[in-house]
Amino acid sequence: MIPSSEWIVLDTNIWIFGLRNQSERPACAQVRQRLPRFSIKVPRQILLELGANLSHDEMDALFRLLNHYPDRVGISWERANAQLIQKYQELGCKAGDAAVAAHVETLNISVLVSESRDFLTEISGLPFQVLNAQEVLQKINS
Amino acid sequence: MPLNIDQLAEQIVTLDQTKQMALLEKVAELNFQHGLVDLSQMYRKRLEKEGRLTQTASEIMAQLGQIREETAAHDPVL
Repeated sequence: MIPSSEWIVLDTNIWIFGLRNQSERPACAQVRQRLPRFSIKVPRQILLELGANLSHDEMDALFRLLNHYPDRVGISWERANAQLIQKYQELGCKAGDAAVAAHVETLNISVLVSESRDFLTEISGLPFQVLNAQEVLQKINS
Repeated sequence: MPLNIDQLAEQIVTLDQTKQMALLEKVAELNFQHGLVDLSQMYRKRLEKEGRLTQTASEIMAQLGQIREETAAHDPVL
């Protein structure tokens, strides 16, 4: 069970598949529909990646939405901690994946939701759980 | 017949504080949800125009992976 007050991070793939309404990843669209049920942090690396995928107008619309829901959405423009990035790179992550993991750890987040969690599954003793969209839906329904 | 804003407000103030708070929270939730639906439609429309709406999940994942590394390379902290 994930309480609605518990902050989670959605990986870029969850945002993108959810917004695309990707038929092969229906759980991502369901997460998007149920976003108000979650408390979501959006760290710098994810924001920059969303910016690379969405147009200027789409990003404006996204920011307007995120900023109007401060109780449940937290935007963090802080750079990832360099030592943590290095730690995750030494554990086998690529630079971008290491930055996401470092953000999640720095923000003291307990759940990262991602459809590409293989980049972290090899690492033992992670300070957060990595769930895919289907699993996070099950957790909020349990 | 739908209520106008004043009539609606009159009704809302008859609710106790807890219900008023719950109502405001629900309105915020619905606004958020509807906003995401609008954004999704806007995004899908653009992708369709660009011929990218039919991309497979694995093609998108590959692109996202590339964007992730390019983003990290252009926003270095090390």
